[in-house]
Amino acid sequence: MKGTAFSLILLPTLSCDADCDYCFEKKNEHRITLDQLCVVVQKVMDHMEHNHIETLSIYWQGGEVMTLPPDWFEKANIAIREIAERGNRQVLHYLQSNMIAYTSKWNRVLADMFGNSVGSSMDFPNLHRKLKGGGPKEYDRLWVRNIREATEAGIKVGVIAIPNERTLEMGAERFFSHFVDELGIRDFQINTPFPGGSVNDVKMGYPLNTERLSGFLADLAAVWMDRGFHHGVQVGPFSRLMDFFVHAKKDLMCIWRDNCVNDFVCIDPLGHVAQCDCWVTSYPEFRFGNVLDDGSLSGLLQNSRARRQLQTRPSVLIQKEDCLECKYLTLCHGGCPVRAYSVYGDVFRKDPYCELYRRLFQNMESMAASLETESGR
Amino acid sequence: MSDSIVYNIPITMIEAYRGRTLVVRSHDPSMIVQRLAGHDLEMVEYLQVPVTGGDIDSLLHWEHAVPVDLVIHNPEADLPLLYRYSAMQAARPVRVSVPVAPGFSKVVKLALSLDFAVKLEFSQPGPALTEELLRVADLYLHQSTVSQPVEFIHSMFLAFYKGDPVALWIVQEEDPARMRYITARGIETISRRFAGVELNEALPSFIENYIEGLIKEEGGECNDCEFFDSCLGYFKWPRKEYLCEGVKALFQRLKEAAEELKADLSSFHSPKGENRS
Repeated sequence: MKGTAFSLILLPTLSCDADCDYCFEKKNEHRITLDQLCVVVQKVMDHMEHNHIETLSIYWQGGEVMTLPPDWFEKANIAIREIAERGNRQVLHYLQSNMIAYTSKWNRVLADMFGNSVGSSMDFPNLHRKLKGGGPKEYDRLWVRNIREATEAGIKVGVIAIPNERTLEMGAERFFSHFVDELGIRDFQINTPFPGGSVNDVKMGYPLNTERLSGFLADLAAVWMDRGFHHGVQVGPFSRLMDFFVHAKKDLMCIWRDNCVNDFVCIDPLGHVAQCDCWVTSYPEFRFGNVLDDGSLSGLLQNSRARRQLQTRPSVLIQKEDCLECKYLTLCHGGCPVRAYSVYGDVFRKDPYCELYRRLFQNMESMAASLETESGR
Repeated sequence: MSDSIVYNIPITMIEAYRGRTLVVRSHDPSMIVQRLAGHDLEMVEYLQVPVTGGDIDSLLHWEHAVPVDLVIHNPEADLPLLYRYSAMQAARPVRVSVPVAPGFSKVVKLALSLDFAVKLEFSQPGPALTEELLRVADLYLHQSTVSQPVEFIHSMFLAFYKGDPVALWIVQEEDPARMRYITARGIETISRRFAGVELNEALPSFIENYIEGLIKEEGGECNDCEFFDSCLGYFKWPRKEYLCEGVKALFQRLKEAAEELKADLSSFHSPKGENRS
């Protein structure tokens, strides 16, 4: 199976230096040891060999990964490389960090292991990202300082932003200007908030109002087309949707793939395996098993009832929801199961942001058509 | 003399057809993987398995990139099963063969959404099914999210666009000069729908003789049909008295779409200002 890849969301720790209102993870102080990491990676490699998969992409997330020291990652990198070389497999590493603990001590790891690139998160305005015992303003100040320092050190920083009510009030122009003009971010992505994990007041407001959020996204897409698209600014999900409608290139976000079960798994520091970070940390009933206890990852995945349930989700949705009538079925097969579960308590419901996605696809399709018409002139 | 014919055989006959170009079929996908070990896969054009096939794990994880044709028997019931194969697309091309029977358009839509190619399998569709066919043609022609072919619609559309007729018997893999279907009992015939049918003439000349019969028929619909060059009486089998009104409407739709595209492109390529209102 040349060219195929396996993606692993790896949470080496669930310890975190932040305390964000909408976090869906149930945190603890567990950290995976290097020995345990080697066991996990060896089992992943065995699974890849069994399935004739050549490349492993590891998405390092937390908790907060930078609560581990940089030299831990240096050792992990060496250990993983040795295991991969023995199995003649390739490994690519990606890092997602809140960058709160970033210092120049991380630069070597970021260069050697992560291609001088890091994905971070920030909202505008920031209402819900907070330091432990602190508030959004302190978080903002630290984050901006660290992002600037990292950027000056030649590190490429991508940002995931979660819109909130104030974002919608301030509007797309201000939002775009903040990230691109003020912070110099050239690559950011908008994610939709959902009430995953334990309930609190902030999460009670999710999902956000479709009408208002889709209006914001439409405005933001227009601003991006006007000021970002031709200047190399990537905004997710617009950029990839434009690629799809213009170049028929299908590289979609996980929520829109035909079945996320086919594409990746997540492993936490205790070895629990589940579909993604939200499932593994907050919904133990949906864990597939424990890779440190069970014999093989392949066997664990094959025998998991929870995984089978998720695997059948799209085929159930096209029978009980209206997905088959949707013009954009090729772009979305019912959306994100954890978003559905967190809102309805039922994985066999379509994503609560369905209508938002449909409007977004429609808007991007017509923007792509206008772009093609213009380029034909 | 080399044999250029492709034989569609049950996997159980693999040894008897060694050295020939093959389509290999089985109800049990895991048996295909097992029995093909050690065979020259260069000679296998594609594998054919029913979408209802039992254990598909070994085929999903098979390291060889041989294309797979998923055969649908009951469109309404088989529809959700397509998702079982969505992961296969990363490793090999996948095509879905679906009979033009009630609900087939849903299968076409889902298959295209999963980036599977589609082949429509015909008998002689009645009015309700030709309506469904027209809807499928519109989906293929006009929906910007479609990126895979739907045969025969795709080939007919291209034929009209290029002004170069294409034989439907060939597109539908039912030309005995190119392809043979070997039944479970080892009987050689044209395709699955011909299995069990007593053909009065030799396979290589079947189509030629059949066409001749249609043309000689006085007042026969084929005589003055503008689409005969491509259709070659394909829809007049098995019942010659079948009326092609609905099928002709489909051909007409494809022809008009091809002409529209040609006009659009020629206006696009014209020097600025010409052909523009």
